[in-house]
Amino acid sequence: MTFGEYIREHREALKSVDRRFSVRQVAQRIGVEPAYLSKIERGDVAPPSEAKIRALAEELGQDPDVLLAMAGKVSKDLQEIIRKRPQLFADLIRQLKSAPDHALLRIARDVRDGDW
Amino acid sequence: MIELMNNQLTFRFPEVHKKAACSIDFQRTLRIPDDNREYPLPPGLGRFPVEHVDDFANKLPDTWRTHGGVFIPMYQSEALWINFSGDYPCAIKIAAGKINAVSGEPWVNRLSDSPQDYAVIPEQPWLDGFNVSEDFIRQFVAMPLGEGFTAEEQITGKAEHGGLQIIAYPMKHDVYVEHFEPNVIIEKYIDMPMFCRETCNYEALDMGLAPGGLMRQEIYEDEYGMDAWDQDNGFRCFVHLANSEQYQMITGHRPPHKPATAKDYIEAGLPWFDYYDDSKALAGSDTLGKLTSVAAKVIEKGKGLLPDNEPVHPKTVKIISKGNVVRDGKF
Repeated sequence: MTFGEYIREHREALKSVDRRFSVRQVAQRIGVEPAYLSKIERGDVAPPSEAKIRALAEELGQDPDVLLAMAGKVSKDLQEIIRKRPQLFADLIRQLKSAPDHALLRIARDVRDGDW
Repeated sequence: MIELMNNQLTFRFPEVHKKAACSIDFQRTLRIPDDNREYPLPPGLGRFPVEHVDDFANKLPDTWRTHGGVFIPMYQSEALWINFSGDYPCAIKIAAGKINAVSGEPWVNRLSDSPQDYAVIPEQPWLDGFNVSEDFIRQFVAMPLGEGFTAEEQITGKAEHGGLQIIAYPMKHDVYVEHFEPNVIIEKYIDMPMFCRETCNYEALDMGLAPGGLMRQEIYEDEYGMDAWDQDNGFRCFVHLANSEQYQMITGHRPPHKPATAKDYIEAGLPWFDYYDDSKALAGSDTLGKLTSVAAKVIEKGKGLLPDNEPVHPKTVKIISKGNVVRDGKF
């Protein structure tokens, strides 16, 4: 499924229960022209900027990292992390490409800091 | 990131320096008598078990989920000490109920040097309690939140946070290189003393820490100065204190047995400890110095006397220092 198809499918699903998810209203809330959003959904234009993808993710209740990946983008914060230790992270990602999810989660496990 | 392994929190700062890391664990110990006599350092009796809040999220209060972090089981009136380890210098702030255990001030993430509100490791091998006066602390003792015993309640009048709060900042990369790696191209082993106060290996849910008995312990002045610490790269952790009985219901794991009393320990002929270091100690906090200890509070509330609080007379006191650092309390 392309980025545009994914956006349309999720927006239409939300629209079926809430009319505020029309192309026009969603476009307005994320700050683009409705025609531009339609073109994105049809795949007539390339996916928008990271900021707009993040706004769409927020609007549609989607994970921004998933949408960015579908759009062929890497978020700025990840780019920054990789840029600091590029060789290490490139090796790490390549080595982990076939690891099962549970193994990846174990590596990523840290003590979560919350709000206090 | 903060990693939890073998009941120890390890704070790593690879973006600062590949050696930048420190570890913290929570040691079970004797509750020293709370009778205004001065006691030496009690032993470590093993690490408290530490669990991720997220692993038991559906059985824990909403506030715990919001705080994140970890939790440990404690019995009412049980004491703990905080064990620091690592070679790379780090500044560590510790609070109980969001009251800084060194300065007595309310929690802020940033470090302060007037008064100094943090300890520096590896110079500071451990922290046993609240910094009540120069060279003396009052032991950390777990009490249920809401009964007026905890430092937090005595200072703020509210039973809001409980638990322990920690933030660790590593030494800045350049400061570390200047002090410890001058003119070094190949990584060399930095032979700094490691401290280990080593041990045998291994009602209301929410508890807080209250001031217990008086113990001789210095909290050392930061010899590097505030600018040495990389405050852009700190990690923090909320350590909740779960009542031991409820801990079993939450996790299905049995909490450790109640620790021995100070009297039993002495009767078994086991050692206490004194730690010597010629570093300059911080003054005590006036705020913390005014706290009422648990035993005094029990009397004040008309609840008789704190159980197992008879004075004891440690016969064997082992002297430990930077070169001789095992505080072994097998029991």
